[in-house]
Amino acid sequence: MTDSNSVRDDLLARIGKSQQPQEILRAPELRALADELKNLPSEERAGAGRLLNELKKSLQTAIDTRQAELLDQAVAPIDVTAPFDVNSSLPSLLPAEHGTIHPITREIAIMSDILGRMGFTIFESREIDDQYHMFESLNFPAGHPARDDFDTFMTIQVDKDGEPLIAPAHTSTMQNRIMRELKPQLEAGQPIAAASIDRVFRNEDLDPRHEHTFYQHEGIYIDKDVHAGMLVATLKTFLESYYQTKLDVRVNPFYFPFTEPSFEFSLSCPFCEGEGCTVCSGSGWIELLGCGMIHPNVLKMAGIDPKVYTGFAWGGGVDRLVMMKHSIEDVRHFQSAKLDFLRQF
Amino acid sequence: MKVSLNIVKRYTSFDVSVDELVSRVNQQLGGVEEIIDIAKKYEGTTIVRVVECAPLKGTDHLNLTKVDDGGVSKDVERDENGMVQVVCGAPNVRTDMLAVWLPPGATVPSTFDDDQPFVLGARELRGAMSNGMLASPKELGFGDAHEGIMEIDASEWKPNDVEVRPGTSFAQAYDLDDTIIDIENKMFTHRPDCFGQLGVAREIAGILNNQFVSPDWYTDTPNPSGGEGLEMKVKNDIPDKVSRFMTVAVRDVKVGPSPIWLQAELVRLGSKPINNIVDVTNYVMLITAQPMHAYDYDKVATGELGVRMAKKDEQVALLNGKVEKLYDSDIVITDGNKVIGLGGVMGGSETEVSVDTKNIILECANFDMYTIRRTSMRHGLFTDAVTRFTKGQSPLQIPAVMYLALKSVFDVADGQQASIVVDDQNLQTFSELVVHAPQSITSDFINTRLGLNLSQKEIESILGNVEFTFDVNHIAPFWRTDIEIPEDIVEEVGRLYGFDKLPQDLPQRNLTPADIYTSRALKVKLRDALSRAGANEVLTYSFVHRNILDRTEQNVDDAYQLSNALSPDLHYYRLTILPSLLDKIHANVRAGYDHFAIFEIGKGHRISAGVDQDGVPIEQEYVSLALAGGDFYQAKAITEYMAKNIGMQFRYVPLQQGKLFETKRGALIMVGDHVVGAVGEYRNLIQRNFKLPKLSAGFEIDFAKLLSLYSGNNNTYHVLSKFPSAERDITLQVAQSTNYVDVESAVSENLEKTDLKISITPLGIYQPEESETKNVTLRISLSSHEKTLTGEEVSTVMDSLVGEVCDQLNANIV
Repeated sequence: MTDSNSVRDDLLARIGKSQQPQEILRAPELRALADELKNLPSEERAGAGRLLNELKKSLQTAIDTRQAELLDQAVAPIDVTAPFDVNSSLPSLLPAEHGTIHPITREIAIMSDILGRMGFTIFESREIDDQYHMFESLNFPAGHPARDDFDTFMTIQVDKDGEPLIAPAHTSTMQNRIMRELKPQLEAGQPIAAASIDRVFRNEDLDPRHEHTFYQHEGIYIDKDVHAGMLVATLKTFLESYYQTKLDVRVNPFYFPFTEPSFEFSLSCPFCEGEGCTVCSGSGWIELLGCGMIHPNVLKMAGIDPKVYTGFAWGGGVDRLVMMKHSIEDVRHFQSAKLDFLRQF
Repeated sequence: MKVSLNIVKRYTSFDVSVDELVSRVNQQLGGVEEIIDIAKKYEGTTIVRVVECAPLKGTDHLNLTKVDDGGVSKDVERDENGMVQVVCGAPNVRTDMLAVWLPPGATVPSTFDDDQPFVLGARELRGAMSNGMLASPKELGFGDAHEGIMEIDASEWKPNDVEVRPGTSFAQAYDLDDTIIDIENKMFTHRPDCFGQLGVAREIAGILNNQFVSPDWYTDTPNPSGGEGLEMKVKNDIPDKVSRFMTVAVRDVKVGPSPIWLQAELVRLGSKPINNIVDVTNYVMLITAQPMHAYDYDKVATGELGVRMAKKDEQVALLNGKVEKLYDSDIVITDGNKVIGLGGVMGGSETEVSVDTKNIILECANFDMYTIRRTSMRHGLFTDAVTRFTKGQSPLQIPAVMYLALKSVFDVADGQQASIVVDDQNLQTFSELVVHAPQSITSDFINTRLGLNLSQKEIESILGNVEFTFDVNHIAPFWRTDIEIPEDIVEEVGRLYGFDKLPQDLPQRNLTPADIYTSRALKVKLRDALSRAGANEVLTYSFVHRNILDRTEQNVDDAYQLSNALSPDLHYYRLTILPSLLDKIHANVRAGYDHFAIFEIGKGHRISAGVDQDGVPIEQEYVSLALAGGDFYQAKAITEYMAKNIGMQFRYVPLQQGKLFETKRGALIMVGDHVVGAVGEYRNLIQRNFKLPKLSAGFEIDFAKLLSLYSGNNNTYHVLSKFPSAERDITLQVAQSTNYVDVESAVSENLEKTDLKISITPLGIYQPEESETKNVTLRISLSSHEKTLTGEEVSTVMDSLVGEVCDQLNANIV
């Protein structure tokens, strides 16, 4: 019986040097081993067969590594400090008219600009967070049924409390941090006016109207004597600037754990001036965002005294605004990276 | 939450139209998802008397009947006595019975919501004309029974004062001339009371500014007298989770179908009639929001109901026909020993009330909402009881609800109370659970938060309409377990007053400008620059399929992994951005694009990056670009253009190692001594794995590093010279291994020794095949700030330059 170990060592060495390592699998030594196997007594055959298989497997791994190495070797080196290759000329940029900014980031820039002019500082959000920021600090105690409304992605890895980390389902995950950061400003007599506009996640199946990854805008305003009417006025002003037209707005009661009272905010359809069109499904109204007066527990968790200060908060989707604006039929286009789609903006 | 306007009207009268009411409900209570016109569904259904009934000749089971509809139906063929002929196959049809007739033109109610509702006509059946049909309970939408037609008992109690005789509208007799409004459940997440008709009726009164008065049975403390005959004991082992557990035994009940009025109430609220006992428990829940359960007393072997947590490995067969394996965090009901129900979620099948049941136990209890929620989620059981218990029902309503149920059982199933009403209650848990403590709250507090100027009296009237009471404080009624803090009262006042009437004032602030964060400003610049360089910004998912990590030889163990993503495409947080971009190249190539660049500014996450001061993972942001159809130098040109736009100077140092980029054709991007990223062509392996075009390159830049070195646009300005510049081209032959940058630096360093204004432009790098040397041609432009340079002066500078540079670089001038 041939020593399969020595065959392996020999073949591995040859693979390491070969320009065509795949050929080594056809080596006569291997065939000889296979022939020997056939002549073995049946009780030894199984064990020897297994050995042969393992041998072939380790050869294949070595072949893959060698092939990758050969691929890398085939490459000619260049002078990376040069502005262009030898015997060549300065490369041009791509045609500027092909360049585009994504319609969602463009919309975020427009909204940030309006909010910035209104006095809001714009923050970014996070893509992975803990349950404290996503839920607890927003007055969703553990086990709160409203946690179910979010279909939150969770990780296998856990935070310091042993709870799974989460992909934030709303930009409110930043509220506590923003309030803490700007609290000195509040105490110095300047209101907290902040907005965050960023990516959020919900564990939903994809279809033309549902994405698991989308964008939200959200704002908070905290000061002494802030009342619910100011919330309505602020949002109305913001949206009138956004749509560059006069709008009617209305608020309906709603429930969120982090605001009290909570509202659903609708505006008269800016695309048909309330006459009824496909964007507003003929109703003349568009339900646009959720909002409310910041719950005193949320202020308390950020170290702000709810007896002295009151504030409002809102949150809404960005994707839908873009879809309505451009009559985009399928939300999945946004993250498809299709040039056919992107180059239209 | 389906609400019957006819039922609401029994508690509070209102005279606004349905549309007006719905609009007010939308604005002041919660979003109405659907308005269901029940009256239309039952339009035309008429109670008739069968006056003749004889087998139809030539058939084995059909009967030819004549029915008396009191002459109310128009356009129908009648005989000389004014009777209508209907063929009927039901075994229970007989002369003199009262039945429900669907005349020609009527829609069969059970098909009302179908795509093609079945509209009746007059047609010939086996040679006899049949006008419409006599309807079975199933055809009327009353459950599954279709063996016979529905029989009407004229003497049975009905909610309306309508006399039943031939020609009476079936809908009117049983209150089916109704409108149902379906309000989003989500609106009532914090309103346990609004999961009952009574609670919604109270709110409707409140928003229409009417005084609501709860019915006596709900607010009076009932005192049901004791009964005897059956033993009834309760053993509650978990008073902290089950704050109240009330039971009573009833003997000698007659289990059967409910009276039609009760079935009619259930079906239009979306429930299904089962039998009179079960129907009573469901109906009482639909009215009060308090779930109940009925057990077959004789199947609860011991006459005792136990309440405890399940033990590991116990199981229970439920009413839905499934056997659930239990967890030690599930609340269970036992017969003192064996599990017979999943408390607050679903009853067990072994003790189910059936037609053979003689004695029953009624249970009315309160379960911890969080425990119920977890059990419901874990077992995937979402029942009406779960919906209500998870909102935190008030344990204080239990005696009233039990009393109503008991009375209703006597009414519809006879029976007699056979035990005392056992009331196991835990007062301490009570006071913790039922937070309706008096709120000391001023009208100022309310007005400040609403921007209003309501008087104490107005506030009292608004809240008084929905039965809040006042002495010094505001006291929420016992069913409002949601009123915990003064702000909850503010919400009530604002909502009932009308949020649309609040003054719309913009906040007043001073002119201090809002802070701008540099990171956002820099991103805006990067996007602008890259798009002007012809690249397309993309957004791609933060999550990737494992194969993206594998194909780029990234370490899967360093990636945060999602535990509940449905698609394998979303199993891992991505580590960096570029692999996501590479994954999008091939599809675009197939779509016909051969030369393009896509870029994204996004986040990657690595477990090894650690956590920040809050203990949450540090996020790493990248600016990444993938170029298809272009080589390293084009990618570099884009990188340089971007650098120039943000006023930064990048250096390029050959790569020493790289998994993504080919070391021989890639460079580290450096700012001063700091590495900020890498640019290069991809390794052949990567190119193959992502089916990239032959010419492909890209870069990935660490955004945080870039930001830390960014200081606004600090491109240096050189004063424009008033004098013309002189240009000279030089070609230096250097060793093939000499880097271009060293040639250029040597030239510029030497020229900077002069006080001339200089500019150096590379014109060509020529290297014949197999040659050991290459020729670098540079165009040198010189000018002075003081005068026009003479040819001689220029030549002197150039000669000195050539001499020095040739020495330094060991080069020859060509």
